[in-house]
Amino acid sequence: MKRIEVRLSLTVVAPLLDLVKNMADDLKRGPATTRPPADIDPEFSAAWTSELLGGQHDDVSVLLSLFGEEFFSDGIVSFDEGNAEAITRACSAVRLLLRERYLRNMNDEALESGEVDMVSLDPQVQKAFMCYLFLATIQELIIQHLDESIIGPAESNPDI
Amino acid sequence: MADPKTHISPDQKTEVDLQAETVWRVIVLNDPVNLMSYVVLVFKKVFGFDESTARRHMLEVHEQGRSVVWSGSREKAEAYVFTLQQWHLTVVLESDEAH
Repeated sequence: MKRIEVRLSLTVVAPLLDLVKNMADDLKRGPATTRPPADIDPEFSAAWTSELLGGQHDDVSVLLSLFGEEFFSDGIVSFDEGNAEAITRACSAVRLLLRERYLRNMNDEALESGEVDMVSLDPQVQKAFMCYLFLATIQELIIQHLDESIIGPAESNPDI
Repeated sequence: MADPKTHISPDQKTEVDLQAETVWRVIVLNDPVNLMSYVVLVFKKVFGFDESTARRHMLEVHEQGRSVVWSGSREKAEAYVFTLQQWHLTVVLESDEAH
């Protein structure tokens, strides 16, 4: 099994984790952005949202489990085919919520390029943006090194 | 060619629905949050696209704001919408009757 270990700076990352945890708690209450198609049966719509929420909760739990004892002792987090997919999705969910909560005033170009004058930002927004970039870095690392583990066989007939 | 011996009585009338089945399109919309590499990964994972097809759809989303990534029956289209939403892409379902 392919596995990558990354040593993170504790002084940079640890202060961001309370925000990640807050976002994770909020994501327990609703899907990050998703909505069922408007014209489906209300009962099916509720099941749709509930199933998305369950999957999102599982993914975010896997993301949070990265920051356990090993991380706080030596700054190391590990990715492998067992957690790569869930973490990549969870990073996306948290980033979407960060944008909705804290980064609404940033234009799309700034969000896409990451080129922002950090000093000009309110401290809370600054922290949210740092967190946003940190989670993107995790996604990039995983996609760069473990994409084959995630892609696997094509889901040509996804089942609900 | 009709058989002249065939007789159809009024109570045997059969209605055949010749209307073609509606085609549904799965459309991914642009968002400024998800990384380009992430969107390519999702397209490869969900649809089995090769790298260049996945990149082409990703660029279409990025540059034109939307890309039709699949079309076909309603049931399968819904399944794809659900799967793409699990990956947090912004996705809508449209029928060809909408145009």
